[in-house]
Amino acid sequence: MSEIAHQDHIEKKAFLVNSSSLKDVRVFCREVFEKLHIQEDLKEELVLAIAEAAQNIVKHAFKNSASPTELMVVQISCENNKLQIAFYDRGTPVDPKKVKHREIDNVKPGGLGTFFIQEIMDAVEFKDGKKPWINHLVLTKQL
Amino acid sequence: MTYKVEELNNISIVHLNGEIDMDVADKARQTILPLIESGKSVQVNLSKVDYMDSSGISVLIEGKQLAEKKSTKFELIEVSKPVEKVLSMARKFL
Repeated sequence: MSEIAHQDHIEKKAFLVNSSSLKDVRVFCREVFEKLHIQEDLKEELVLAIAEAAQNIVKHAFKNSASPTELMVVQISCENNKLQIAFYDRGTPVDPKKVKHREIDNVKPGGLGTFFIQEIMDAVEFKDGKKPWINHLVLTKQL
Repeated sequence: MTYKVEELNNISIVHLNGEIDMDVADKARQTILPLIESGKSVQVNLSKVDYMDSSGISVLIEGKQLAEKKSTKFELIEVSKPVEKVLSMARKFL
């Protein structure tokens, strides 16, 4: 836990649902975390977790075939030193019971993203998406 | 991401540069795996990689597994700090 009191802040941005947007997601996150004065090591961990979650939307919720205008929204908020990152998308509904990283002795490529998210964040929660959204994922981390 | 392949003493050294994510992982895969497939020893220089996500790690796992199958060498060299951090998280799987 950080001893720094991070100012309360909220910011959100929409991105096209495709793999080319992942770099833009990272740029957005780094800019917000700069404003929040989050230390470099933690900042890059958080950027990785957020980018992996965005990647899961592209890869799994839309199976790499979203329409060219389809959007996902990333919202970063900080309140009382608690960081919350919310994702909204209109892809295939996610069944939270099926979202888990693979077994540790199952060495094969892929499926590491969810493991990284769970390693980095304190909590990962799927909430009911409110219209027009279908999926609403919330990642939290106490700073 | 950009890359350069250097041949040195029968070893192919792949120098990767930039950020390796889902968008460019295939490019890295198509650069590295054919070299291993051809039976060459391969080193991947990661000194100029400033970001790598699970897609990039997957390429490295595929390289390691293909090298084992082909009985050739596959090594990561000059691993940058950001990549080392991600690798340390992924190491349980490697």
